[in-house]
Amino acid sequence: MSSSPKHSQHSTSQNTATETNESTTHFGYKTIEKDDKISMVAGVFHSVAKQYDVMNDLMSFGIHRLWKRFTIDASGVRPGNKVLDLAGGTGDLTAKFSQLVGRNGKVVLADINSSMLNVGRDKLRDKGLVQNIDYVQANAEYLPFEENTFDIVTIAFGLRNVTDKDKALRSIYSVLKPGGRLLVLEFSKPEHELLNKAYDFYSFNILPKMGELVAKDGESYQYLAESIRMHPDQETLKNMMDNAGFEQSSYKNLTGGVVALHKGYKF
Amino acid sequence: MACKKLATNLLLPQVLHAALETIINRAFALNIRQLSLVHLEQKTLTLELSELDSPMSFTVVENKMLVNAVIDRSDCIIRTSLQTLKKLKAEQQLTTLIKQGELDVVGDIKIAQQFSALAEQLEIDWQSELAKQIGDVPTHKLLHFGNKITKKVNHTLKQLENDVGEYVVHEKRLVVTDSQVSSFNQSVNQVSSQVEKLSTRLNQLATKFSVSSDTRTDSAPNSNFK
Repeated sequence: MSSSPKHSQHSTSQNTATETNESTTHFGYKTIEKDDKISMVAGVFHSVAKQYDVMNDLMSFGIHRLWKRFTIDASGVRPGNKVLDLAGGTGDLTAKFSQLVGRNGKVVLADINSSMLNVGRDKLRDKGLVQNIDYVQANAEYLPFEENTFDIVTIAFGLRNVTDKDKALRSIYSVLKPGGRLLVLEFSKPEHELLNKAYDFYSFNILPKMGELVAKDGESYQYLAESIRMHPDQETLKNMMDNAGFEQSSYKNLTGGVVALHKGYKF
Repeated sequence: MACKKLATNLLLPQVLHAALETIINRAFALNIRQLSLVHLEQKTLTLELSELDSPMSFTVVENKMLVNAVIDRSDCIIRTSLQTLKKLKAEQQLTTLIKQGELDVVGDIKIAQQFSALAEQLEIDWQSELAKQIGDVPTHKLLHFGNKITKKVNHTLKQLENDVGEYVVHEKRLVVTDSQVSSFNQSVNQVSSQVEKLSTRLNQLATKFSVSSDTRTDSAPNSNFK
């Protein structure tokens, strides 16, 4: 209980600064060497991969499905489009995009974490979605695709785990085709103070216990709550997208700002 | 504007789309005959209903229906209201509705007709489906009870209809109108005020009479003294 205000204060002061200096970065509330972040985040996701979908449903009361539906609706996807679902995890967005782009289109499910990618691949194959999906293990900062390849790039609940977010945004920009768009679905800052407090209490007191109980890994879910607070708020992320070269950047708050969908174009 | 923001915040269109998608695909799965959706594969019909802020796009993908709000890919867009949507079953009304401005169709109208035909082909054997879930005997009893209730409700409705008809045809003529009631009330008020005036006048006369008779009785002995 008593930890909530401390976390909240911390998050407010740090929201606009995701990287501390050239060689260090954040891992939740900890300051670590940049080189260590990838392996530490990988550790978290290797640990939770198998229970990831169940935990998502439990933690968000199923609302994450609606947030993802909203992202699909905002994407303007058409048959024949090439879509990159970055940090695609267990492939919720990929599944929908795969159906909507049709046989002439292509969806690439990319994730830095092999465990998540394996769970995603198994899940999509079980659903019979095999024809137009490729799987790539890739770091968002160094995307292994040619320039101007994709019509749409999405990154849902993944950007906050990336070590150098600016570099990742520039990398995404380069693989987008002119006219293409990036959609970032990510936890953000609630609009109302009361909701913010309730959300803090839930994140720091209930979420880790839920993680301990279901996924037998409370620490990973403590990291999840901390990483959400350390992620840039709505306006900061919009500015970061502008700086990376995106045009007409905008965002929409969902569920009172608990989550925001940012959208930007490459022209 | 505030309503729209609230609906976006609460993701109400997405809730509606998810519910519709589940219901439609469940209905397809329960249909007596296997529906062939091959002719509609990757075709999209979009409905823009005036009552809703968000469009609804129905796309057929591998014998399933996806419902979302992506309109960029639509083969046919229908802009109308829920009320007019019911009238679309009668094809001959299409031109009239378009002329009246109640309906706007963009794209291939045949796609809309094919989607409509799909809905008409749906035929679900609810009895068998229910029996699979709860067993034959409970299903029979439940349906028997349901039929009884339906008959009773229908009977009550018919009786109500007859009573209302009788009231309209016969009894309504005998019922006084509002203007008659108000005229009657006015007359009652007039009579009441006249009665009040008369009563005041009678009281005055009674007072006068008693005063004059008192004067007369007082003056009689005086004259004797004189």
